[in-house]
Amino acid sequence: MADNEKQPAVAKTETLFGEEQVEASPDPHFEPVMRLEEVEVKTLEEDEEALFKMRAKLFRFDKAGKEWKERGTGDVRFLKHKDTGKIRLVMRRDKTHKVCANHYVTSDMQLAPNVGSDRSWVWNVAADMSEGEVSAETLAIRFPNSDNAQLFKEEFEKAQTNNTSAKGSNDKAEVKKEEAEVKKEEEEKAEVKKEGEEKIEVKKEEEVKKEE
Amino acid sequence: MTEQNPTYAEQVPTFKLVLVGDGGTGKTTFVKRHLTGEFEKQYFATLGVEVHPLLFHTNCGPIRFDTWDTAGQEKFGGLRDGYYIQGQCAIIMFDVTSRITYKNVPNWHRDLVRVCENIPIVLCGNKVDIKERKVKAKTITFHRKKNLQYYDISAKSNYNFEKPFLWLARKLVAKSNLEFVASPALAPPEVQVDPELMQQYHSELETAAAQPLPEEEDDF
Repeated sequence: MADNEKQPAVAKTETLFGEEQVEASPDPHFEPVMRLEEVEVKTLEEDEEALFKMRAKLFRFDKAGKEWKERGTGDVRFLKHKDTGKIRLVMRRDKTHKVCANHYVTSDMQLAPNVGSDRSWVWNVAADMSEGEVSAETLAIRFPNSDNAQLFKEEFEKAQTNNTSAKGSNDKAEVKKEEAEVKKEEEEKAEVKKEGEEKIEVKKEEEVKKEE
Repeated sequence: MTEQNPTYAEQVPTFKLVLVGDGGTGKTTFVKRHLTGEFEKQYFATLGVEVHPLLFHTNCGPIRFDTWDTAGQEKFGGLRDGYYIQGQCAIIMFDVTSRITYKNVPNWHRDLVRVCENIPIVLCGNKVDIKERKVKAKTITFHRKKNLQYYDISAKSNYNFEKPFLWLARKLVAKSNLEFVASPALAPPEVQVDPELMQQYHSELETAAAQPLPEEEDDF
């Protein structure tokens, strides 16, 4: 990656046009506001395997302004979880590595072509997690050419099929919950029956008393 | 809104960054680019000041710049000195296609350092993607006299757009090998979409699909 390049000892001034360079100032010293040391950082992708990676540009539809807004340029990836088998789409921006798309690929999604383009797709997301909280988004993605766009679509659809059959952690929890509810109902029924039986016995006792 | 993980937002080392420069040099567009990824083509003059938290994930943990995006136009300037108070770092921006905006850099610098003494400052020449560059590289010398770091940048093409924050971060925490790293990608929820909502999504999708994406020649 370009931003992993070794920094020269004296800070170099960055310019666009090779011949004319803005001369750098001597690297000045400032008293730091605080000191930070390196820490272990987590991407939260550690338990996933990247199935697919491709350069693209992402957009989000601004419903109020009825216009597309850029969301980021970088690699779009499909990540498969090693335990649950579920696949999510994750995209990060170049250089700052911030997340700009992060959602499961679900069967209700549909890739529609964007008008007049053979290299971009539009789709809806009910739960995108790119900002750290859930939001519903309409996204569009553009590739350098239509071949790449086709490859992305194939992979997207494969992920949909995969996720329909994969038993995610939530699905399992759902099943357990249902089982538990059925059990509870049965127990309640049994209890009612028991109560009824007791009542009958009491009645019988009363009857006995009356006879006496 | 841009907090990637609000649960530990309170412990994130935070710095006040003051962003100044003439009106129309691209300060707000630059901030928005970092906030949401968007590139705003239209010009809306900033009134007074807008403060935006910009969170970055680094190999030294997350850090935040509370960015004070100030009005460049004199008539909308408001409480200028008040915005500078307790600034811990700054970016002075000019437009390389407009000589007057570079000419005014010393004024912005003077006003800034009158309130904020000896803070790390980056001078940015924005809009270097435009072919008709007016402020030539060899005429940009102000930073050398005042110990500022300089970067050519383009909010449009993203050229060097992370560099000002990276340099400031390194100075503020005394870590010359600080780098930006992948932010945590939290597991998204698995939601079931109900049929009614589904119908609404479909009509929205049609509207969006009929709206062409902004076209650019130099896409990738």
